[in-house]
Amino acid sequence: MEVGLGEYLALATILFGTGAIGFLIRQNMLIQLMCIELMLNSVNVALVATNRFYPDNHAGQIFSFFVIAVAAAEAAVGLAIVIAFYRLKKTVETDEADLLRH
Amino acid sequence: MSSWIHVAPLVLLVGGGLFIMLADVFAKERPELATVTSVALGVSGCVSLAALVSGVAPQTPAFLTSYLAVDKMALFFDVVICTGAALSTLLAGGYLREHGYERGEFYVLTLFSAFGAMVLARSVDLLSLFVGLETMSLGVYALVAFRRASARAVEGAMKYFLLGSFAAAILLFGSALLYAATGHTDYAGIAEGIAAGADPRLVLAGMLLVVVGLTFKVSAVPFHMWTPDAYEGAMTPATTFMSVAVKAAAFAVFLRVLVVAFGDPMSMSEASGWPPALAALAALSMVYGNFAAVSQQNIKRMLAYSSIAHAGYVLVGVVAVFRVGDEAISAVLFYLLAYTVSNALALGSLILMGSKGREAVSYDDLRGVGRRHPMAALPFVIGVLSLMGFPPTAGFFGKYYVFNAAVHSGGGMVWLALLGVLSSAVGAYYYLRVIVVMFMKEPEKGQVLAVPMRSGYVVTALSIAGLAVMELGLMPGWFLDLAVQAAQQLVA
Repeated sequence: MEVGLGEYLALATILFGTGAIGFLIRQNMLIQLMCIELMLNSVNVALVATNRFYPDNHAGQIFSFFVIAVAAAEAAVGLAIVIAFYRLKKTVETDEADLLRH
Repeated sequence: MSSWIHVAPLVLLVGGGLFIMLADVFAKERPELATVTSVALGVSGCVSLAALVSGVAPQTPAFLTSYLAVDKMALFFDVVICTGAALSTLLAGGYLREHGYERGEFYVLTLFSAFGAMVLARSVDLLSLFVGLETMSLGVYALVAFRRASARAVEGAMKYFLLGSFAAAILLFGSALLYAATGHTDYAGIAEGIAAGADPRLVLAGMLLVVVGLTFKVSAVPFHMWTPDAYEGAMTPATTFMSVAVKAAAFAVFLRVLVVAFGDPMSMSEASGWPPALAALAALSMVYGNFAAVSQQNIKRMLAYSSIAHAGYVLVGVVAVFRVGDEAISAVLFYLLAYTVSNALALGSLILMGSKGREAVSYDDLRGVGRRHPMAALPFVIGVLSLMGFPPTAGFFGKYYVFNAAVHSGGGMVWLALLGVLSSAVGAYYYLRVIVVMFMKEPEKGQVLAVPMRSGYVVTALSIAGLAVMELGLMPGWFLDLAVQAAQQLVA
């Protein structure tokens, strides 16, 4: 069976949806960070797969390298914020973040 | 021959950032990092302004590699972003010392973040959009969390970080879908692909996700939840930077994407394209932002909701692009410049009115400040009047041009302009309320009084911002002309 672009995009969409739903329903910051990583990686699947169907340049593959690099930088900042939060609250649950209300 | 001008503003910021990182480590005495930073930003902004005025700016849009544009709009946004960042740095120079947070990271983060913002405003490819957006945002997340021992700051940073990265992921997935549909990641290529008959379902889904991701960054309703928390949690100089530079850069790329990539008849259709969707967001932002600001007790939170309302006003101009093109774009550019100096003036004088342990944050803190310290209160009054849109200040002409563009678009846009005017009347209530509290209320007995700080940095920043607000309000023509040139080049 020939696997077309549609199948790859469907896979990417399922992964992205899983990440997005996980991000929205979970309260644990670490899990939410993982969900964001899952969403970014689903984008990589879509980019790399798409590049196979437009082979005249490597835009998709180059893009995916940048996504990987930026995801790492984002995780570094994110984990730093998680640690700062944990030091103050002794938890990483986001529903404990309730100081800023009006 | 004039190619150095294309990279000079960016190189200055990166060079300045690297220099400060070294200077902060190796300098024996406390170096005046705020001066170095604001000079780097100021020179960078002046180079761009000089290029715009002197005609060194390319007459036809040029490209620095295929990812970054060199055109008048990029230079105009250099001026806006550098002005905002330089003012925030000067404010930080006074604030950090007064409150004992003097650490070099603040300036480095601001410089790199402003660099990201300028890359974002130049981006002509989804790749440079993403990289610029993240370079800018990662710096700002760290700026919000700068006071890492403060629960409020860390909480604000956490909310901003989580929602911001979520939005970036959404934007990225939209980019991948657009690439899958058209085979291109540059805006012009996407437009060609759409014209050549790309799968309309993929294009529509991609466009929707990209627009949602960008509305997060400009903090339009319903994607505004992080704004009040991040603005309140951050130190006031960081709030200034977020509310002016970040917002301006996000709107710059918004304009580029909408005009260049989605300028075709299908994407701009009034039935199923972006204009009706963005018009709805604009209306919601104006109404919600203004009404929510009324009930706030904290001035920074009030200004956060007011910035949501301002995002709504700017979006009115963005939507009007589909009918009147360059007129609306130039109105948006002028508005962003006016908002930058006005908001920096208002937040800056909030800094000036407080000192260590006696910060002015709530309405109660400001009771009677206007009578006790009139010189400290004066810039706040000018800034707030400009945010309100009171003539002859910068804000008045900003609003005037935007609503004028909307009226010229005709049809439903006239109603949107009318809604904008009505909701800014609500805005006048809470802006004037601050002035009333400052000049006509007496502090309660036993209340800790806010005492103005003394700082040459803050005074310098406020003088520059105040002059700019009055200059733009009394003689808007000069900067409007630059904005019109930039806009004409973008749509040409």
